[in-house]
Amino acid sequence: MINHKNILRTGKYKNFSLKNINKKLAIKLYSFMLRLRLCEEALAEEYHPADEMRCPVHFCSGQEAVPASLNYILEKKDYVFSHHRSHGYYLAKNAPMKKLFAEIYGKATGANSGMAGSQDISYPKNNFFSGAILAGASSIALGTAIALKMKYKNKQVVVTGFGEAATDEGIFWESLNYAALKRLPIIFVCENNNYSVFSPQSKRQSGKSISEKAKVFGVKSKAIFGNDVCLVYRELKNAITNIRKKKGPFLLETFTFRYSGHVGPLSDDLVGYRSNKEISFWKKNCPIILLEEVLIKKRYLNKKEILKIKEKINSEIKSSFDYAKKSEFPSIKSWNDLNLSNKTPLADKILKDLKKVNFDEDQKIVQPKGY
Amino acid sequence: MKIKKLFSQKVTRLVTVNKKITYAQAINQGMHQAMQLSSNVMVMGQLIDYSSGVFGTTVGLVDKFGKNRVRDFPVAESLMTSAGIGAAIAGQRVILVHIRLDFMMYSLDAVVNWLSLWRFKSNKESNIPLVIRAIIGKGWGQGPQHSKSLHSWFAHLPGLKVAIPATAFDAKGLLLESVFSEGPSIIIEHRALFGLKDQVPLEPYRVRYGKAIIRRKGRDVTLVSLGYLLVEALKAANTLEKKYGISVEVVDLRTLTPLDRDTINNSVKKTGRLVVVDPAWHSFGAASEIITSIIEKNLKHIKSKPARITLPDSHTPMSKNLEKSYYFGDKKIVSKILKIIKV
Repeated sequence: MINHKNILRTGKYKNFSLKNINKKLAIKLYSFMLRLRLCEEALAEEYHPADEMRCPVHFCSGQEAVPASLNYILEKKDYVFSHHRSHGYYLAKNAPMKKLFAEIYGKATGANSGMAGSQDISYPKNNFFSGAILAGASSIALGTAIALKMKYKNKQVVVTGFGEAATDEGIFWESLNYAALKRLPIIFVCENNNYSVFSPQSKRQSGKSISEKAKVFGVKSKAIFGNDVCLVYRELKNAITNIRKKKGPFLLETFTFRYSGHVGPLSDDLVGYRSNKEISFWKKNCPIILLEEVLIKKRYLNKKEILKIKEKINSEIKSSFDYAKKSEFPSIKSWNDLNLSNKTPLADKILKDLKKVNFDEDQKIVQPKGY
Repeated sequence: MKIKKLFSQKVTRLVTVNKKITYAQAINQGMHQAMQLSSNVMVMGQLIDYSSGVFGTTVGLVDKFGKNRVRDFPVAESLMTSAGIGAAIAGQRVILVHIRLDFMMYSLDAVVNWLSLWRFKSNKESNIPLVIRAIIGKGWGQGPQHSKSLHSWFAHLPGLKVAIPATAFDAKGLLLESVFSEGPSIIIEHRALFGLKDQVPLEPYRVRYGKAIIRRKGRDVTLVSLGYLLVEALKAANTLEKKYGISVEVVDLRTLTPLDRDTINNSVKKTGRLVVVDPAWHSFGAASEIITSIIEKNLKHIKSKPARITLPDSHTPMSKNLEKSYYFGDKKIVSKILKIIKV
């Protein structure tokens, strides 16, 4: 059985395979992961002491494999609902990096004009949404899957990405139950990084693993080593293809690790909640390094080509910073309109205003009997 | 969006033309028409597809529109509200029937942390056309877990529209307006009203948010009422006119947010006196907000101190006799207004 305790005993990962992954795809997966990693590292680097990014940022360095895979599996019409560690999923849905940066800087040109920040960012145009309250986004994703199933011919799927701590919440299991009951087109992707802030899964959850529990609810599932991006890709591809063929929901549990602290650019390892053994195991099994080693060995890429990829990414990062820093701060025309739409175009079209308003005041409220 | 022609199908099967119908039947008629007007409208709620149809309000829907669009939901109120949000994001117009507002409290996270701020945090790009019908019991020993009217809680949140219809006409018009508008709405339905009858036009019409209505014109005091207290307010106004020669202007708020402060303001400018009846707890409630916001603007017109007539700051007792002292009717309104006018 795969769990965080057992994984540490396995040493350096040896099962890496490019099965069903051609050269082009392998390089794409690598480039996406590298782009995400460099993006996170650059943001973390710039965060202090400049202090121009003034929102909680949950960096996802170390957890690149799922977003990279989704980027090449999903179509624009598909929906993604992400947890607060959102940057990977945001980029996976091809939302622009510069608008991510501008959002974190609180600028008018940000993905949400500075209303949301990192942990609540969305890009509705590409069907990408996120939020910080655990499992909330997953339960909303469930509702989107209900709607998509009603129009099944579109073959759209919903992906909800969450951490293992989201499964502490009751509503997560309500969602699994209903997804199985109605065979909804939804994939639950649990990035199990073992920690809710500092608290390990073993301190919070009893019984079997999340993927085993899912089976009890009637949701097919699998648990895998989450830093092997090719394995993650194959499993996600397979599950999502099946979901498009109306085969019902799926839960994939990927065991992984975040290198950063829970929130912010600084390490929180001084708290002492993670052992050195654990940290060094996961550093050794970095998803990017694991793939890079194979790419070099197979001669799909050489060091020079890797440098070239990095240069391209770094220039995108630089221009994203420029864009964010040069953009204006937002201004509010109407707080009211920002929160609630005063326009009712559809009602205007189909409903009548009536002049006469009826009420017969000459009657008595009769108490209903019984319950 | 496809808009179907309304009268092509038998929408009248459950209601009779040109006859008075009850508040519950008016809601039912609104639900049928909404579903007929657009194939994107769907309903979720516990027990909505059984013959009793949530006090008659969902009768006949499943037969006509099928189990996909009329979904009986598990006893998972929290998930139901979230699911409604998710379906609305993907283009559905969703009516959630929370058969008891008290049970709906499981979905506070969905309402407070997601629904109310969805438009805001997307910077107006993503809207959620979702309507929550929240039903509230009263009397027959409903007790503390079946009787809470939490309209002012919801009204306190930015990003939600809150309606509290007192008549069958408004119940249907506000339901249709909510279904076909862009923002999320919560409609507070007092079950005590479900049997009240009225002439309800058969065509699909709207009652707009933020438009209070003067149910009775008067000169001496403005009486603002919410929900089921309209009937009591009108009775009290009648007594005050006949017995004491006091002319009461009764304003039925219809919706709490947006709040129609203009109508109340104009009335108070004329009468100089303001009383609010609110079927909810005394402190931190809708009555306090209404009085404060009117006094802030209108102090110079005020002839006597304002008053709020509410339930006590207490949970609802079950026992029949205690219910009598907990709830109030026209008599209490009359005596309170008499005191004010004397001052």
